[in-house]
Order: sequence, then C-alpha cells, then structure tokens
Amino acid sequence: MLSVFRSPFMQVALIGGLIVGAVCAYLGVQVVLRRIVFVGAALAQVSSAGVGLALCMGWNPSLISLVLTLGGVAAFSVKTKDRSTTRESLIGVGYAVSSALAVLFVAKSAQGESHLLDVLSGNILTITPAQVWWMAGTAAAAAAVMALLGKQFLFSMFDPETAQAAGIHVALWDMAFFLILGVIISLAIRLAGTLLVFAFLVLPAVTGLLLSRRLDRINAIAIASACAATVAGLYASVKMDLPSGPAIVACSFALLAIAWLVSRFR
Amino acid sequence: MNAILQFDRVELGYGRHDVLKDVNLVLEAGDFLGIVGPNGAGKTTLLRAMIGTLNPKSGRLRRAPGVRFAYVPQRQYIDEVFPLSVMEVAMMGRYTLLGPVARPTKRDRDFVIKCLGHVGIADLAGRTYRELSGGQKQRTLIARALAAEPQALILDEPTNDMDIAGEHAIMELIKSLHEQDKLTIVMVSHLLNVVVNYVRKLALIDGGLRMVGPTAEVLTSENLTGIYDAPIRIAEFGGRKVVLTGGGDA
Repeated sequence: MLSVFRSPFMQVALIGGLIVGAVCAYLGVQVVLRRIVFVGAALAQVSSAGVGLALCMGWNPSLISLVLTLGGVAAFSVKTKDRSTTRESLIGVGYAVSSALAVLFVAKSAQGESHLLDVLSGNILTITPAQVWWMAGTAAAAAAVMALLGKQFLFSMFDPETAQAAGIHVALWDMAFFLILGVIISLAIRLAGTLLVFAFLVLPAVTGLLLSRRLDRINAIAIASACAATVAGLYASVKMDLPSGPAIVACSFALLAIAWLVSRFR
Repeated sequence: MNAILQFDRVELGYGRHDVLKDVNLVLEAGDFLGIVGPNGAGKTTLLRAMIGTLNPKSGRLRRAPGVRFAYVPQRQYIDEVFPLSVMEVAMMGRYTLLGPVARPTKRDRDFVIKCLGHVGIADLAGRTYRELSGGQKQRTLIARALAAEPQALILDEPTNDMDIAGEHAIMELIKSLHEQDKLTIVMVSHLLNVVVNYVRKLALIDGGLRMVGPTAEVLTSENLTGIYDAPIRIAEFGGRKVVLTGGGDA
C-alpha cells in the first residue's frame, strides 16, 4: 500500500486530502447538528460558481470563489422574517442557481468543459504544495477558533434563546460559524471539488453520530473516518484507475455503512 | 420596596406588530409571580422582554444592577439531536461566568454537580440528556439555570406535557427554590390549576397587563371570565383552588 504514496504528487494529494477531510469532518458535525446540511451543499455550489466565473473572466479563482461564498454565507445565515417563504427555500434557490451558473460559466470559459469535471468532482491528484500550505494554515486557524470559543458556539446552537438571555450574542456566533464554514469550503473546493467537500461535511459526521453519544468522541470518529476514507480512496483510485474524489466518497460511505451496522447490533 | 425589574409604560411587539401595550409591572426581590392568559395573549412576549431577548418598542424597562436572572426555557424547544450529557447541558449555566475563552475548572464542575444534586438528579450527570424523561429534562434545565448563581429564575411553561405526578414534583421543586433558596421566581404557564396553587402574585395578560397583584385578589371568577372570554369559576377542593370552566354549581 505504501508504494502508492511514494511519489511526491501522491504525498501532496494525501496530505491535502487528509487536511480537507479532517477540517470538513470537524465542521461537519456542527453542520449536521445544526440541521444545515443543505447550507453546506449550497455554499459548495456557490463556491464552484465562483471558480467558474473566475475561469470565464480570467480572474483569480480562489479570490472570486471566496468572495461569492462569503456572499452566500451572508444570504443563507440570515433568518427570514417573511412568513411567506423560508430560509430553506432561499438555500434551495441558491443551490439550483449556483449549480447552473457553475456549468454555464465553465462552459463559456477559455479552458472549456475540460475544467468542469475538476470543479465539480475535484482532482485532488493535481493540487500543489502551496495550496496545501494555505489549506493547512486556514484549517489550523479555524480549528483553533472553534476549540477556544467552543462554549459559545455550543450554547448558541443548542439553545439559542437561553444563550441569548445569558448574554451570548447568538446571531454573531452563528455568523462566525458560517464565515468559518464559508472560508473553509471555498478553499477546500479548489483542492477537492464540490462533491468531495460536501461529502466530507456530511458522511464522517453521520458516521460519528452513529457510533457515539459524546460530542468529543463524535468529533474524533468523524475526523478519523474522513482520514481513513482519504487514504483508502486514494489507494483505490490509483490501483483501480478511478477518479479520486468519488473513490474517497465511496470509501467514506462504506465506513458509514459499517457504523450503521455496528449501531444496529450493539 | 426592592424592585429588581420594572416595566414603565412599556410597549412590546415585533416589527410593526404590537403585542403588549402600556405594561406597568414591578418585580420585587422575593416575589413568586405567575403570568397567565389565553393563547396569543402575549405571555411569551412579556417573558422575552424579562429575559432581555426582546427590547421594548417604547417605555422603560429597568433592571436592578447586580441582580442576575436565569432563564429556564420550555424543554420542548431544546433540539434533542445534540448528543450532550446532563453535566454538559448543566455546565452551560456557568459559561457567562467563565468568560469566552476560559474552560470550566474543577470548582465549576463541583458546583454544577451540587446544582444537579439540589434538583435531585446528581446520579444522572453522565447520562445523555435526550434519553431522560420529561421531568428529568426539566430538572436538568433548572439545574443549568441554578449553575449561573442567579437571584431570580424565569421559567417558561415548566410543567407542560407532564403527568400529574411530574407536574406536582416540578412545582414542589420550584416552590422550594423560592422558599428555601430565597430565589425570586417568575413563571409563565397556561395551566391555571397548577399556577394558582403556588404563586404569591398573579399577572393576567391579554394584549396588555390587565391586572397584577396578590393571587387571592386577582384570582376571581369575574377577572378570569373577562380575560378568557368564557364562564370561569373558582372552587376549593381539599384546600386547593380549582379553576373550572362552564356553568353549574361548584
């Protein structure tokens, strides 16, 4: 198995995949508990639309992706007071329109549709060490903020009204979480693609929730399962000549299925 | 008079929608106040103003400096998807005392265990919150409020959806917090028969604060009939007050 990871580009892909998997899995536990899984999907699509727009216009993809994702964060994190519509419907509109725009922008870009598959399903095998360093630094900063200020994040998502009554500015903490999520998604999309990033936000978290009833253990299981799926998926993609992103998702689902079986029979 | 919370001609509402007008209410240290009224009367709106999550549209709402209020929400509002232990939930009461970055110390953990013991569930500290019974969850939320070392507790429908035994046990606990621990208590409830046998003061709400005063003065057939727009009688059975709807003799 180790022979697969001897080449430098595979080592970069492995490290990049492990970092994206770990940070997305950690944030994913909160995404699932906050019942905002679809926000993760919509932000990933907004981010890929940003990449598509940048490719079309010849701009910096990372910057445009980040700007659009932060715009998505602002739009999706606001709780609508209009009773004739819901936040879910706004997120659905954002998801559908972003998905379409991503395809349209990439189709009209100079690089053409050859880039489309990379944007949507990702090609982690082509990432550069510089991208990995950026991702590592941002992931470390996000994890540090989440760990240091975890009490406020936890209280404001578990029981917002009581947290607000206790003096915690719930809207501010919600916005902070969405901002961290948006920044991580917009960077991770460039490394791993929409499909893999969204999968990392959901599958490892569900695996953790199936196997434990303690939040710290759930976080640990989610991170471990994302890392295991990354290693197994990259190995399978090389050995079986499969696209890397979907191979990692398949491995992550296999772990989730095992976790489900374990949770049924214990 | 030792007022810890004072509403002075306060108007409350959401956006352009007014819910409560011209509210004048004084909460004194040591009060045991029940807020009752029909559905949609504005009980929750008044409560939100008390806990500070809703600002008055006009008028003045004054809090005595140094007095700490703790809120006990309806347990049905807590999302049970969260895999948190009873200890972790109760510890949230300490968060604002700790500051944003500090982690709970052994002293905090000991204090929270003491609060759990005070409400009779110290043995459940390690259990998952969502696996508890309704009464145990309510006790956990009360313990969390006590963990904040408050002078006043504000409770929203603390006995909602409980059986008679659970209802009685929770109300006896709240009564003991008032009598033994000298906490000021405010509770909102739509369960008149429960509230009127415990609270010392009663506030009737219906689009405004219609009446507030000692329970014995406020709890009359005329007052309740006017508020609920239905014939209501007050009877006594075994030394307890019973609120009855409809005609006929008590």
